[in-house]
Formats: sequence, C-alpha cells, structure tokens
Amino acid sequence: MGTIAGAQNILDGLKAAGIDLVASVPDINMLQLLNLLYQDKDIAHVPVGREEEGIGVCTGAHLAGKFPAMLMQNGGLLNSANGLTTTALQFGIPVVLLIYYAGDIGDNAFHMVGLVTEPVLQGLGIKYIVMRDPAKVRQDIAGAVTLANASKRPVALLLTRAVL
Amino acid sequence: MKRFECLQAIAPSIKYELFVTTAGGATNEWNAVRPSDGNIQVKTLGLCSSIGLGLAIGLPERKVFVFDGDGALWMNLGSLATIGLHQPKNLIHICWDNKQYESSGGEPTVATAGNIDFAGIARSAGIKSSRAVNTVEELKDAVSYAMTNDGPHFIAANIEAGRAEVPPLKYDELENKYRFIRYVEDTEGKSILRIPQSASYLLK
Repeated sequence: MGTIAGAQNILDGLKAAGIDLVASVPDINMLQLLNLLYQDKDIAHVPVGREEEGIGVCTGAHLAGKFPAMLMQNGGLLNSANGLTTTALQFGIPVVLLIYYAGDIGDNAFHMVGLVTEPVLQGLGIKYIVMRDPAKVRQDIAGAVTLANASKRPVALLLTRAVL
Repeated sequence: MKRFECLQAIAPSIKYELFVTTAGGATNEWNAVRPSDGNIQVKTLGLCSSIGLGLAIGLPERKVFVFDGDGALWMNLGSLATIGLHQPKNLIHICWDNKQYESSGGEPTVATAGNIDFAGIARSAGIKSSRAVNTVEELKDAVSYAMTNDGPHFIAANIEAGRAEVPPLKYDELENKYRFIRYVEDTEGKSILRIPQSASYLLK
C-alpha cells in the first residue's frame, strides 16, 4: 500500500520538479500515492487502461506543453515497450517513468518481472535510478526531470517499498 | 467514398485545429491536402488516439483531430474507454475504416467480416457524439457538428480501400515534432521546448 508520508514525499518531489500531469495504471504498493493524485488540484491525473496508452497520453501532453510522468508497475513497463520505443524514444519525448519495482529483492510477487526490469530499461537505452533512500527521493526526481528535459528522452525511477 | 475525397471535402473548414494522424495512408494524404506544422505523424500503430487524448487534455481550448484506422483502432480499442472516461470536449476522433491493413499489404482486420460497429462501441464507452458515415456529405455534416459542439466526438467513416498518389511526407518524425511544438508555441503563446543552458551561464 505504501505510507502516506512516502506518498506525500514523492508527490512533493514531483511538484517541485515541475511535473504537472501524471498518467497512471494502479499497483497496490502505490495506493497511497494514487489516492493523493486523485485529490490533488495542481497535477492533472489521467488514469488509463493499459500502460502503452499512458505513453501516448504523456506524449500528447508534452506536445501541448505539459511536463508528464507515467506511473505504473514494472509489468506495465513491459506492456508499454513499443510505445516507449517507436513514440517516446523515436520522437524524443521527455517523460518521467515512475515504476513500482515488483520482484525486487525482498518482494514476494512477480519475481520474473523483477528479473527483467533493469535489463529491459538498459536494452531500451533508458537511464534509471533504483530509489531505496527516502531522504533522496526529491533529489532523484529532480535529477530525472533535468535529464529527461536535457536529453529529450524518457528517464525511469524505480520505486522500491523503502520509498513508498 | 474514398479517403482522399473525404479529406479534400473537410480541409476548407480547417484553420488552427491540430491533427494527430495514424501510422498509415491517412498521414501522407492529409499532409498533401492540408500541409501544416499543426499536423503530427504517429509511428506506433494504435497510439494516435492516446496521443490525441493527451494533446486534448493539455490544450483544452483547442480542437484536436485524431485520424485513426480500423487496424490501428483494433490495436488500441481500450483508448475509446479511456476517452469516454475523461470526456475531452475538444477531441474529434475519426476512424477511416477501409476494412484492411492497407499499409501492411491488405490483410483483413477485425472490421473485414462486418461484425463490428466502431461507432456503437464508442457510444457505449461514453462518447455520446458518435456516428458512422457512408457519404462525403454525411462526413461533412458530422465534422461541422463536431467543430461547433462540445465532444468528445467519434466518427466512423466507411471508406473504400486504396491510397491516393501523393508525395511522401516532407519531414521525418523528429523534424515534424519540433515544427509541431514550435507551431503550438507560436499559436498558444507559450514556451514548451526547454533548451539546457551551459553551466558557465549559470555561474553567479
């Protein structure tokens, strides 16, 4: 489920970094963060049915002048791989991927997804940070936004339970 | 009716509207009929409707057209549900249904057997302004309605197969993106592209 404090820390980091639209597909570990997004007035929240749709929504939002992020589980990262490749990477779209890291060490579900997550990001050429330290959450989000803007590419933040 | 004559029929009513055009014949034909930096091509089959949704949400006062195809829409049919959920007033989604994967060589799609009703699906997904059109006049009426009324709008346009002989696209996707964003910046009066400053300029 995550904690309210962890979720608030991430939301504050997103706002401080200029993120103003979040597309999402839920995961139980991001429940608190999603609850905050549903209530928040500053960030446009766009729930989608499948993660690749979200990559499309984030792309359109960027073309409109928004700074978007896509919130999903790492299984959803796999669902969105073609959209990431032939839209986000091929067109050069800055988008922050907020990915719950299921199957990480210490997690008892989706171990196969956990196993392939980092190799898939590496194969796609998407830089990422594995977020394990709550004290660094805001700094990591700011860094991802800076690099996404400068490189005009997606940048991923892998959210572990320690920061949620 | 042919897609090209449909595009020619609606082009005169277009001014500053933005167009997201599917990976397929509609892109080349539309850019031949109405060349503009307000047109953005799509490379991921099926993703045009989602990109159009994001654009419509980001620019709620601007009409956004999506040109989809039957094969592309089949690949992202869930996007109709998502559009129905978010109800973007400014989205005009047209599916050019030629009942085949024309750009892939003419293989059948879900529409070929004639069992599917895209307009009915869109309506059931919450897109109340949804209709199928079979003639150029019906299409012009539907587009005219969509441009003067709140949406979201969905139009299933039943067309003959076949691509018009038009020049290839002038810009690749990167140049197209930059030109599109500059067009949005100019017409909306906002800054979108963020150009990083050299570190030496950031010294105090």
